[in-house]
Amino acid sequence: MERERYLRQITLPGVGEEGQEKLLRSRVLVVGAGGLGAPVACYLAAAGVGTLGLVDDDVVKLSNLQRQILYRTEDLGRPKVEVARRQLLSLNPEVKVEVWRERFAEDNALSLVERFDVVVDATDNFFTRALLNRACVARSKPLVHGGVRNFAGEVMTVLPGSGPCLACLFPLESKAASAQTEGSSVLGPVPGVIGTLQAVEVLKYLLGLGELLVGRLLVYDALSATFHEVQVTRNPSCPVCSKF
Amino acid sequence: MRVEVRLFGGLEKFVKDVRFGEGFPVDLPEGGRVAELLDRLGIPPSQVFSVLINGRHASLADVLREGDRVALFPPLGGG
Repeated sequence: MERERYLRQITLPGVGEEGQEKLLRSRVLVVGAGGLGAPVACYLAAAGVGTLGLVDDDVVKLSNLQRQILYRTEDLGRPKVEVARRQLLSLNPEVKVEVWRERFAEDNALSLVERFDVVVDATDNFFTRALLNRACVARSKPLVHGGVRNFAGEVMTVLPGSGPCLACLFPLESKAASAQTEGSSVLGPVPGVIGTLQAVEVLKYLLGLGELLVGRLLVYDALSATFHEVQVTRNPSCPVCSKF
Repeated sequence: MRVEVRLFGGLEKFVKDVRFGEGFPVDLPEGGRVAELLDRLGIPPSQVFSVLINGRHASLADVLREGDRVALFPPLGGG
């Protein structure tokens, strides 16, 4: 371990070399390598999370560059996960980056989720989000949810069994949810704020520090420059997590 | 009866002088439902994706009670 690389966090109360070793042994799956996935993956790689998994089937497009800070103009047309791997390894050669250039779908959901310790929802549509939520609840994996739209965003951490899941919060399993929000408007740094908060949640979970956003939806509004917290409770008739 | 409402993600634009995420009181007839609350606020139901009553997922048909805390959200995007 390059101790100096992590010096500023090793010296934090509750982290130490032991915490750093823990991070280096950890495996985090980031589903979606876009506006949320970019800051999440950068901060987790920089922090020395030993293995990062990235799933995304897309290529870099010009309209991505306003917010997806992993990519450069010369990367246009290249597969996002390949560019992301190169960038992340250049940031920190001590970590491993495993990539899947495919959609997160019914046929790979469970096998992907079960390889990792924590999963990050950096998706851009409700269909994938619903699937991710079901897979994480089924395999009892922590899921750090993030979402953005226009000038606002939100974060919540799902610890299956001990707090509400995403289907307790949204009508994820209903037809209304199929109205996709992919391609919606967003101010570039807003996913930066939300993705950064997601990375913080992941590190806290892995290090066993502080209080997670379990049952607490943290909502950010750039226009009023405010954060608000909304309590969310488990739905006893939740179509997803009440079965587990 | 009086409920407390919080609007998120742009829904606050439908109500004059209401700020993102800040609670405000709304008076409704006894037995009023979430749909009637939206009607009172002038928020089209199509703009509301998620409803929480006292932190629990709810629908437009759910009946509200005195003192309920209602949070309304539009659909989310991402990536």
